[in-house]
Amino acid sequence: MEPLIDDPALTGKPLSSEPATPSKTSPNTAKGKSPTRIALSRLRRDKVAMVSLGVFLLFVFIAIFAPLLAKLEGQDPTTLNIDLIDRNGYPLIGITGDHWFGIEPRLGRDLFARWVYGARPSLIVAGLVTVITTIVGVTVGLIAGFAGGWVDRVLSWIIDFILSLPYLLFAIAVPAVLLTIFVGTAENADAQQVAQVRFFSLILVLSIFGWASLARLIRGEVLSLREREFVQAARVLGVPTHKVLFKELLPNLVGPIIVSASIALPTYVVTEAGLTFLGVGLVEPTPSWGLTISTAVTFYRAHPIFLWVPVIGITILVLALSLLGDAIRDAFDPRTRR
Amino acid sequence: MTDATAAKSGVRKVEGAPLLELDDVKMHFRIKGDGILALGNKWVQAVDGVSLTLQPGETLGLVGESGCGKSTTARLITRLLEPTGGQIRFQGVDIAHMNERQLRPYRREIQLIFQDPYSSLNPRHTVGTIVGTALRTHDMVPKSGELKRVQELLEMVGLNPEHYNRYPHEFSGGQRQRIGIARALAARPKVIVADEPVSALDVSIQAQVMNLLENLRKELGIAFVFIAHDLGVVRHFCDRVAVMYLGRVVEEGPRDELYEKPNHPYTQALLSAVPDIGVVRGVPPKNRIRLVGDVPSPVDPPSGCRFRTRCWKAEEICATQDPALLEHTEKLHTACHFAAPPTESIVAETV
Repeated sequence: MEPLIDDPALTGKPLSSEPATPSKTSPNTAKGKSPTRIALSRLRRDKVAMVSLGVFLLFVFIAIFAPLLAKLEGQDPTTLNIDLIDRNGYPLIGITGDHWFGIEPRLGRDLFARWVYGARPSLIVAGLVTVITTIVGVTVGLIAGFAGGWVDRVLSWIIDFILSLPYLLFAIAVPAVLLTIFVGTAENADAQQVAQVRFFSLILVLSIFGWASLARLIRGEVLSLREREFVQAARVLGVPTHKVLFKELLPNLVGPIIVSASIALPTYVVTEAGLTFLGVGLVEPTPSWGLTISTAVTFYRAHPIFLWVPVIGITILVLALSLLGDAIRDAFDPRTRR
Repeated sequence: MTDATAAKSGVRKVEGAPLLELDDVKMHFRIKGDGILALGNKWVQAVDGVSLTLQPGETLGLVGESGCGKSTTARLITRLLEPTGGQIRFQGVDIAHMNERQLRPYRREIQLIFQDPYSSLNPRHTVGTIVGTALRTHDMVPKSGELKRVQELLEMVGLNPEHYNRYPHEFSGGQRQRIGIARALAARPKVIVADEPVSALDVSIQAQVMNLLENLRKELGIAFVFIAHDLGVVRHFCDRVAVMYLGRVVEEGPRDELYEKPNHPYTQALLSAVPDIGVVRGVPPKNRIRLVGDVPSPVDPPSGCRFRTRCWKAEEICATQDPALLEHTEKLHTACHFAAPPTESIVAETV
């Protein structure tokens, strides 16, 4: 499959130490393709991957231009439209030209505006956590795998320790603890401040628990890579250790890193929504799909669209990201292709 | 290399010392025992008291069966491993226990060519990056001159200099080995340790790569430590040969003396195992020495002479007294109490 270059006069070519005279006529013919670029071109040919990427970019676009989209509709996510709600809290209108997805029961906030703004925390939390866990996980994994000895033992012990902690319990407990540390008791807390602390504590908790599995994966990869002879060749040439780590080993880990990040991203979207639904993630007034779902459950009989809009949003986003992650994994590891 | 750059590079030199000298070098690896507190620790004596010398421009062959410590010796000379005992002197300076910072200037002088051309090149780097590693690491050429030098090196090893932008997976095994050779040459070393450089290649490519190494040695005057288990290749390429058995050098001397009149029983057995092309032409087959038993474990080597468990000449003294590497016949050093040339011709004709 891969083209081999013609052997240039291997038989009895006279040895010459004269400087070569590169022919400037065809510089592009000798340009090779790196394994990463081959994987990306394989990915580009995958239709499902490209559609998924398009959907994902659409959601990113929605999140970035949420204020603009809300303005296009002429609404914003915090205005209470009391006049459109009856005495029992049910909305008087369905889908109208003014309110594209209708309005919330009880408070009467515009659903479309809350939906487009709701894409923001999902993507910000998932994106930030993915970036943080990837950086921490890769660094720890590289160091543990390459250093070996007691460094490896201590880091592996920390990884095992974190993986053995009850994740859900901590996810519920830590935000509450941080809240009392930074805001004080719940009575005198300002809602905006509480929402902010909740936001950062969610990122913190997910990051603390997320890096360990990647670090373990990278450590394993490094353990096998460092025995390869090109690492020894670099050491024989006197290449400093940090360069061996980041210039020789890291490029060989691009595949597993991208794959793990692309698989982690949708799980964090789901986790954020799930924790928020349980009441331990984000809180009002932050517009979040998880929050909307949690309120909408009680109104499902009378007002099903209230629930369906965020559910469909999350489903499409996670489905697209998962398919994209699978496609990336297949592109980087052709052996698993279906 | 001019004197100015030599002085700047920080490589010290003792006048009159051989280029490379191994003095009673030992490498014992620890293997974890079963006991708590590492009570059951054992030591694998991979290399146990090897002494070798290498003069400028000389080629020293290192032969022996698998597991006798050849590759470990290569990794000790290139200081990928720190020996547990003995001295490794480069131009008279002991580099055996230098740390990475002190060692850095010496890294350029001793280079390694690897056995497996598929794992010795980083698959994510272009050929230009791989060959240029030494140039960048040791600031050997200005940034603008790097490409020119890389192309020069590629041409020197018989590759198309235009291919500097390609990746290793686009090359065949023989070409990859040439890239590995170019990478070693880039550092302008005085010593190249070649750890079975052709045993992973098929026979026709082996000859090409051997010819390339031969040309490089003649033109650049680099000293080689050539490790192989193919005795024919070693005879073709090396000035002197050392035979290793179970972590020790059992016989060492000039090529022709060693191949024609080996004094050590192990060398005799090794040489008699070389396939004989004469048989095809009707010459009666040589008397082949068949060794019985297996190589003893390097964890628990036999007392005295290490070869005694498989040696047909072994007597009581072999178990009690360790034979020293002494000169028995003209320049041939042998570690055996009963060193004597073979009674009948055991050596196959040279092909």
